[in-house]
Amino acid sequence: MTQIIIQGMLLSGLYALIAIGFTLIFSVGRVLNLAYGAYLMIGGYVYFYISQQLGLPKGIGLILAAAVGCLAGLLKYRFIAKPLKGNHVAIEIATLILAIVIQSAIILVFGESTKILHSLVPGIVRLEGVTAPWSNILATGLSWVLIIAVFIFVRQSHTGRAMLAVSQDPKGAAICGINGEWINMVTWGISGLLGGVAGVFFASYTQLSPFMWVGPLIVTVAIVIVGGIGSIIGTLIVAHIIGFLEVIVVSYIAPELRGIFTMLLIILFLIFRPRGLFGREELA
Amino acid sequence: MTIKSWLKPVVSGVAISAISMASLAAEPIKVGFIGSMSSDSGLSGLRAAEIAIDEINNTGGVNGQQVELVTADTREDPTEGIKAYEFLAESAEVDFIVSSSIDDVSLAWMPRFLEYQIPTLDTWASYVGIIDMVKDDPEGMKNYFMNVASDEALATLYINFGADVLKAKMGFESVVILAEDTAFGEAITGLVTEALAPVAGIEVKEVIKYDITTNDFAPLFSKAEQSGADFIYQISTVNAAGLSAQYVKLQVPLAMTGVNVAALGHEYWTDTGGAGAGISTLSPIPAVGLDLDPVSAEFVATYQSRYTSRPVMPHFNGFNVYHGLKQALAAAGEVGGFGDGWSAAMEKQDLKLMKDGELWLRYGWWQHDEIEPVTGRTYPHNIRFDLSEPFDDGAPSMVVVQWHEDGKPYVVYPEKYANGEFVLPSWVPAK
Amino acid sequence: MKLIEKKHLVAWGAFLLIMLLMPNFVSNGTLRIFIFANFLAIFAISWDVLSGRTGYISFGHPFLIGIGVYATAIMSKRFGMPVEYSIPLAVLITMLGSVLIFLPALRIKGSYFALVTLAFMELAYQLVQVVRPDLTGGTRGIFGIKTLTRGAENGFYMSMSLMFAVAFSAWLIMRTQLGTALSALGMQEESLEGSGKSTTKLKLAAFMLSAFIAGLGGAFYAHYVGAIAPRTLFDINFLFTIIVAVLLGGSGTIIGPIIGAFFLTFLLEFLRPYLPGAGRYFIYGAIALLLYMYQPKGIYNLLEKLYQRWRGGAA
Repeated sequence: MTQIIIQGMLLSGLYALIAIGFTLIFSVGRVLNLAYGAYLMIGGYVYFYISQQLGLPKGIGLILAAAVGCLAGLLKYRFIAKPLKGNHVAIEIATLILAIVIQSAIILVFGESTKILHSLVPGIVRLEGVTAPWSNILATGLSWVLIIAVFIFVRQSHTGRAMLAVSQDPKGAAICGINGEWINMVTWGISGLLGGVAGVFFASYTQLSPFMWVGPLIVTVAIVIVGGIGSIIGTLIVAHIIGFLEVIVVSYIAPELRGIFTMLLIILFLIFRPRGLFGREELA
Repeated sequence: MTIKSWLKPVVSGVAISAISMASLAAEPIKVGFIGSMSSDSGLSGLRAAEIAIDEINNTGGVNGQQVELVTADTREDPTEGIKAYEFLAESAEVDFIVSSSIDDVSLAWMPRFLEYQIPTLDTWASYVGIIDMVKDDPEGMKNYFMNVASDEALATLYINFGADVLKAKMGFESVVILAEDTAFGEAITGLVTEALAPVAGIEVKEVIKYDITTNDFAPLFSKAEQSGADFIYQISTVNAAGLSAQYVKLQVPLAMTGVNVAALGHEYWTDTGGAGAGISTLSPIPAVGLDLDPVSAEFVATYQSRYTSRPVMPHFNGFNVYHGLKQALAAAGEVGGFGDGWSAAMEKQDLKLMKDGELWLRYGWWQHDEIEPVTGRTYPHNIRFDLSEPFDDGAPSMVVVQWHEDGKPYVVYPEKYANGEFVLPSWVPAK
Repeated sequence: MKLIEKKHLVAWGAFLLIMLLMPNFVSNGTLRIFIFANFLAIFAISWDVLSGRTGYISFGHPFLIGIGVYATAIMSKRFGMPVEYSIPLAVLITMLGSVLIFLPALRIKGSYFALVTLAFMELAYQLVQVVRPDLTGGTRGIFGIKTLTRGAENGFYMSMSLMFAVAFSAWLIMRTQLGTALSALGMQEESLEGSGKSTTKLKLAAFMLSAFIAGLGGAFYAHYVGAIAPRTLFDINFLFTIIVAVLLGGSGTIIGPIIGAFFLTFLLEFLRPYLPGAGRYFIYGAIALLLYMYQPKGIYNLLEKLYQRWRGGAA
């Protein structure tokens, strides 16, 4: 039981961390950014290059991963989301193509082989026979901090409230003098930044490979769908549902069925409760 | 089909003129290489082919004919493998194909091989099912050869490692198998579970199969610990590095050995940033860390003077390509090409590489009716491996390699080839 | 305006003639490329019939194709069923399978529908490996499937006839009331409902037609390649190729997906000698992305415009 709780919390924290940036884009821009998994990948590879190939301090690696992620987000907005403005399906298809281009670019630079990142913080804790690496505990803590920060930012700050306004009523927001383009750009930038940071944590726990973007993308999509659009707290809660579900399936049911449960959850929710558990939005 | 019957004379006419033209003109012999151009094992094979061909051309070619290399990338993708094979056969019109394809890519182009009958040598794919095809259809598969020991032979010798080292030396009595849910995982799991108890006297406590897209192995390791077994046998090809890295990061207090494809190359240490210490894996011959005979060492010296980017050391299939391609061309030289007599000439190729007066590596073939004594079956057109001490009929089908904390791979089994000790990772309590 | 004009039939006839004579002009290697292009064209037409017209974007088309592929492969390889039966049965099974993605379409659309189909594809990928691996071959897939043709020319004629039959029939169907109604469904589902037509029946027709083509293409594809593996079938890269073929060629047309499929397949093969390795896919993807961003209506539209301009200039 202790094992389930500890492992469930750690995995859920990691999942929440990778889902925040995606939720943000989906809530404000109403867009499924299918290249989101590629942010994670870019973050991971930047960190690997800086801290493991060049041997620079890990902090610099993390900062640069965030910066490059942010840059990727901004570029994506400028060259994909903005020109295709409003056409959600076109953006989804374009981001899917982009993800595949990024995948081949990474193979070109780093090759196909899997790479392993050093943990950000070394060492482990043992708690009632369960091992927890410090790095994962840090990721879990960070995901809570980031989610609360994003929540407060959206609710309290001027820019955040403008985001909310744009997300609920783009035209109305424009009338009120909110620069929707600027808000969208900020959102894509922040989403990229969060993706880059999450990528470092995700890759340092799992592995780095040019094909790693699909798996987390699916987990993220599941979290956002089940959580409901526009619900940041929903993301946090559902990340825990999915994380715990996974640990329980692996521990008690059948490890080889792990992915199938997540997939069924997505399908059932999309069909029977498309607005998710905490969504407040009518269907597009 | 009327179109088909109408076409028949046209097609065969084209085929005949193509053959007669090839034999008349003193065109170069075309060798096709099929494999991934961005994986370390693919590049090992490609570079080995380049080196072997240059060496042959520098010494006058094959009966005066120069050899030319054509490459086709598979991306380790079965459909791309089919396209690549078709490209080699029909656009490049090669005479011979050397392959560093992984198992499922080889299986994908196999129908094309059967159709074109271009002599083909596999150097990485080790699926015993392909050797079974040679057994069942010796005529249709006569131009196919595989110079890596088939997976069944790999698993069989591994059982001896269990008896000689894990049980006798380390005192391990029981095992928990942690296998990926793939066909390869299933085949190896089957062989190992059946043989470990009766042959090595090691009890299999539990078999845990996991989904290949698993992110978090912590619950799996907990499950393995709870099974009460003495060590973990891992079988992983797809996310092998991820599994072993989490094993190290979580400091799982059980020894772990088995099949870990990521640890088969020299870049394993840099790719894992040193998180690979203590990981051991069975490896086909010649593995990383294996001491080399003079001929193979010469090949490595050439390789390293010519290529500086990764992989810095050829993977086992690189050696197989180097020696195997030379044998294939030698056979073609004997019978005047890759025509009808080639298969019989190839079957007779037998390269014995000696080290310090002992047989070290052997590139020969199992013949059609020869029964391998340990497994009691035939392995036609598979490399001639040896499954028992003192390994005087061939090299062992595999060796066990372990990455030590000094960042180097050591061969720890079998004894004759060992240059290091099998040790437990520092955090694992001894039994 | 007559729906089927003489000039259309002349164009189709010319297209057929050129394709029939192709083996006389090009090498066997090129014919092999044509074969893959033909199959991709069939899959692209199947996608376009559903997603290009009705606006229900399917991100799970490999799911439908995969049903056809696996059904015929399992029946013919594992149960020794002759292909004369296994292929039609596989098509039928694919159509039945499409009901699975049709039901959600009654409730959701847009990005949600796209996601649900994507989830179905991933689910199929996972299930095929776990459920009855003795039948599906697990991760390794099924190999040694009976092939219908030998040699590049026969394969070319087989795939080309199939592609032509599919394309021409789809074109004819799109000329009927059904076709017009389907396009209307894409433009304004609500007003169509208001006009008293049953959108459910229309949608069902689109799904069935798309599944029919996908199943047919998939089944013949299985018996052409002879070996299938789940990771290349239920694969995001495969999905990408199908969708991009349609969009690059021009969606909502029949000729567009064919142009797109030929363009993509030949582009990749054309790059092979110059860029062995990963660079090829990078350039290929980048070209696809640029074309999609800057020529969203597709090559067909571009050609049409050029033709109009040329005629305008000539007149």
